[in-house]
Amino acid sequence: MAIQALTTTVRRRGRALAGTGGRTAALFLVPFFAVFAIAMIAPVIYSLVLSFHSQQKSGLGFGEAKTVFVGLENYVQVFQSETFMEGIGRLGLYCLIYIPCMVGGAVVFALLLDASVAKARKLFQLLVFLPHAVPGVIAALIWAYLYTPGISPLVQALQGGGIQINFLDAHLVLPSIVNIGVWEWTGYNVIILFTALQAVPREILEAARVDGAGEIRAAVSIKFPLILPALSVIMLFTIIGTLQLFTEPNIISKATASVTSTWVPNLWAYDAAFIRHNLNQAAAASIIIAGLAAILSLAVTRLSSRMNKA
Amino acid sequence: MKRRHLFAGVAGLAASTLLLAACGTGPTPAAVPTPTEDPSGSITFWSSLAGMDKVAEAFNASQDKIKVSFETIPNGANGGYAKLSTAITAGNGPDVATIEYPQLPQFVSNSQVIPLDGLINKAETVDKLTDETKALVQFGEKTYALPYDAAPMLMWYRKDMLDKAGVGVPKTWDEFEQAGKKLKAVAPDSYLASFNPNEVAASAGLAWQAGAKWFGTEGESWKVGVNDEATQKVATYWQKLIDQKIVKVTQAYSDEWSLDLANSTVVGVVGANWSATGIQKRTEASAQKGQWIAAELPNWGNESGAFYGGSSFNVTKSSKNPAAAAKFVEFLTTSQEAIKARGNTGSAFLAFPGLTPVAQQAYDASYFGNDIYEVFNKAYGTITPGWQWGPNWDITNTALKDAYGKLTTGGTIHDAVDTAQDATVASLKQAGLSVKE
Repeated sequence: MAIQALTTTVRRRGRALAGTGGRTAALFLVPFFAVFAIAMIAPVIYSLVLSFHSQQKSGLGFGEAKTVFVGLENYVQVFQSETFMEGIGRLGLYCLIYIPCMVGGAVVFALLLDASVAKARKLFQLLVFLPHAVPGVIAALIWAYLYTPGISPLVQALQGGGIQINFLDAHLVLPSIVNIGVWEWTGYNVIILFTALQAVPREILEAARVDGAGEIRAAVSIKFPLILPALSVIMLFTIIGTLQLFTEPNIISKATASVTSTWVPNLWAYDAAFIRHNLNQAAAASIIIAGLAAILSLAVTRLSSRMNKA
Repeated sequence: MKRRHLFAGVAGLAASTLLLAACGTGPTPAAVPTPTEDPSGSITFWSSLAGMDKVAEAFNASQDKIKVSFETIPNGANGGYAKLSTAITAGNGPDVATIEYPQLPQFVSNSQVIPLDGLINKAETVDKLTDETKALVQFGEKTYALPYDAAPMLMWYRKDMLDKAGVGVPKTWDEFEQAGKKLKAVAPDSYLASFNPNEVAASAGLAWQAGAKWFGTEGESWKVGVNDEATQKVATYWQKLIDQKIVKVTQAYSDEWSLDLANSTVVGVVGANWSATGIQKRTEASAQKGQWIAAELPNWGNESGAFYGGSSFNVTKSSKNPAAAAKFVEFLTTSQEAIKARGNTGSAFLAFPGLTPVAQQAYDASYFGNDIYEVFNKAYGTITPGWQWGPNWDITNTALKDAYGKLTTGGTIHDAVDTAQDATVASLKQAGLSVKE
């Protein structure tokens, strides 16, 4: 309450000086909003317009197509599309495997780093972060190589040990792609969590230690609850990032037929736009994906703010 | 996956919409083409074919009225058509484009390429072509492209491995299966060929050879027969080969595919005349020189064949100088100079009469164990007539490719062609086209 009162007074004072402040603020804000309008708002509006129209042809289809207003029909078609819904389902499954593995891994690594001796810490921090320095496309190419039977030293080594495994068959290709994501993003999130851990007041930890808590107890009961806000930020970014899954399956699809051209919703939209030449449907699908991202982000934010209050 | 800024909530949307926005709408129709006797000006030319830069240079050097600037674009599998199509729609496409035969009808149906009638000298170009190649570039009385290569479908074999198995070059598909079995007997880990889910055009060629008609027109309607009787026969046959492990299912041109050829796991390639360079590149380091031979595709009892691949040159709707563009297209497809300029880039087999010997001279075929051009010529003479490509090949292509994805988990080629048929019909109907099954 006190903080709220304070901000209102600050705001009032600001308003009193509006004559000059407004102009200066506008000067600073214009570049941002100009780019934002051109690169964000305009395409969104254009997409919305596209998504309510359709290109119609007749007969054999030779000649110009007519653009007609079709209302929500494109959206209905997207939702009715078996391949789109399969893509959503696959993405859900991907999240179910990816999020616990990646976030769980990041938490464990961060806590380990925080507990480790100072000298080794820097080195491990670097090692854990290193995969993230590899661009996504390159990472996918490297893993595609490591997964391909007959070429991969990994598969060969496993074979030598009597394990026959094809990472790219229809059953294993999803976990294989999850693995690429985990490899790429765990380190990045470890850094975020580790930074949050650094901010945990040392006196609380010392008090815990005096009370007889060991490293594990301190990690579970003190450090973990205190980095929950950072964790919810990570969850938010991860969910949004996952919805945009595109690069990894796109690259892997060159190595195996198990990844179809409509494997995840973003690939579906790409396929609609550039293979089926149906820009209207692609626009509708993109808006649906964005809507899904908005809903999920809202859910995560709500959930985490409730958790933080509790 | 990117998640670098706070507005990421809408980033997904923005990313996709940006892509779309780049396409624009603006279908600014080119000025009505008027034939000019002596066109001049600057034009642009896009192609993914190797050596085309040299051809453009040769054209520029041969005259000084028209100046061609060349740009390499990715091939179809790597997004070349997406680039071309969006650029034309946005009005900033090239004057002259390279389009493969299966994709040509969809560019025609989207009015992205213009008819060449009135722009080219018909008597000296189109009229000299065979009916089979004409059928690839003419739609409803109009000529929309001049054909560059006419690629006869072929089988490539490792001669030494056939000898080892004690079989001759298979003449029929029945002999092909027997040869595969005998090969398995002497080399249990070897396959006679590979089946490539990502090369749907090869599936189309095999069906074409057997007399299938995937697309056709009946009055004002399209007829789609991706799972017609002849295709079913071919599907059953190849499924049998897969089940008996006579052919291996791999993505063509993948690392696995290349390695299989290099280490003799796969000893045959379902390909065409243009496969030569690819085979040589992948196997010459493995001491296979002189072992690879070209052969006519095995058949179903009667001499028959199909085209597999091949490109045409077109004048796009975004061309501001169609007359000059058409002039350059004539040069590309009918001039011996153009073929010479391309040099030793591949074992081309060309549609326009009299050009193939020039290409043959430019190509060094010493890697191969037989006279490959003799085989090309023979195969070219047996193309099964009556094939037509459909109004949106990419739909059928991806539908079949995706359905082939289930081959490793119990799916069959039979199921795949059924799925592709349904997907093709549904998509065409969705675009408002009239379709009869």
